Amino acid sequence: MGPLIPNGVIGAGWDFVIAILIGIAFGFILEASGFSSSRNLAGVFYGYNFVVLRVFFTALIVAMVGLMYFDFVGWLDLSKIFILPTYLAPMVVGGIIMGFGFVIGGFCPGTSFTGIAIGKLDALFFTIGLYLGIFGFSLAFPLFEGFYNSGSMGNITLTDVTGIPAPYFALAFTVIALAAFWGTMFIEKKVRKNMKQYKF
Amino acid sequence: MNKNYIILTILMLVLAVGTLFLRMSNEPKQIDPEELLQEIIQPTRYVTTDQVAKMIIQGDPSLMLIDVRSTDEYIEYTLPGAVNIPLEDLLVEDNLLYLGIPGKKVVFVSNDDIKADQAWVLTKRLGYGSTYVLKGGINCWMQTIIDPQQPEETAAATDFETYSFRKGAQMYFTGAGSDDGGSNQVNVQVQRRQKSNVAAGGC
Repeated sequence: MGPLIPNGVIGAGWDFVIAILIGIAFGFILEASGFSSSRNLAGVFYGYNFVVLRVFFTALIVAMVGLMYFDFVGWLDLSKIFILPTYLAPMVVGGIIMGFGFVIGGFCPGTSFTGIAIGKLDALFFTIGLYLGIFGFSLAFPLFEGFYNSGSMGNITLTDVTGIPAPYFALAFTVIALAAFWGTMFIEKKVRKNMKQYKF
Repeated sequence: MNKNYIILTILMLVLAVGTLFLRMSNEPKQIDPEELLQEIIQPTRYVTTDQVAKMIIQGDPSLMLIDVRSTDEYIEYTLPGAVNIPLEDLLVEDNLLYLGIPGKKVVFVSNDDIKADQAWVLTKRLGYGSTYVLKGGINCWMQTIIDPQQPEETAAATDFETYSFRKGAQMYFTGAGSDDGGSNQVNVQVQRRQKSNVAAGGC
């Protein structure tokens, strides 16, 4: 049956409608998970709050395992899914920059908008900075263009690279995620013991 | 320790282990055996040499001839405008792009109609529509179009009409004595399906 648009189940014009609906749901879940608080978000770096890790890892493993079952029962053809092309070095550098931004600013791009939605000033300034950054990057783009496009590996998956079937990766990630849930719970307890209760 | 967390952890682990036992099939989708059988016993997949000759002469753009014989045989003689895909290469992904183009009628051609029939069954099982088989193949083509036999004087009027058409077609395809340098020198123009319906775009 799926993916719906490539298989012609619904027309291509629906993609924006679906995007809006998913966007609303995503924002709602972010805010409901406490992601509009930069203290919550940055907590993962200091060890007193791992809600970011828990929410994103939960989403990841549920989606990952769920998609495999969807493929199995024929609701979704995984071979028709868009796979983001991999640019190894630029992605590593981008990830590091993103991590620094996260721990310094206390938001990632999506959560800064949920922060604005509930009226947080820090989120507002973060977003202004975000747009300035985009603007600066665009102006300076010719300088990085070579690096930006370097190391293209195409639309590959781990299975393509290693030859190991996808379910083994799914199982491995699930075990890692579950171990992280329990492990971080103890770290949280330990760290929180030595700090005053903080407000969100 | 929250009981819900323990239950959810166990559930997630079981589901993840379960994926190991899913058969991740790369088998192509096939049509129902009953449906295939229904299609096989119908003679509707056959087109006659006369129909194909007419379409070629009229330059029908919906016609797409696929010669499923070996490359050697293809080079030796084939129908004008035919593409060569040997039967054993038919299921190569690139070759499947010739099939399933909306508005195109694919006609399989072989020496008789056995190989062409096999190609037809293979593509039918994969769910491609608008595929046909040249009845009698190249042999029949030779007998009816390239070297038509005059019917007996007592034959029906329609036989004479067919004969006169075939005589005309013979002239068209053989140049009626003048040397056209072999009909397989025709510049083959083919159209292929756009490669993918994979979703494009990103985040």
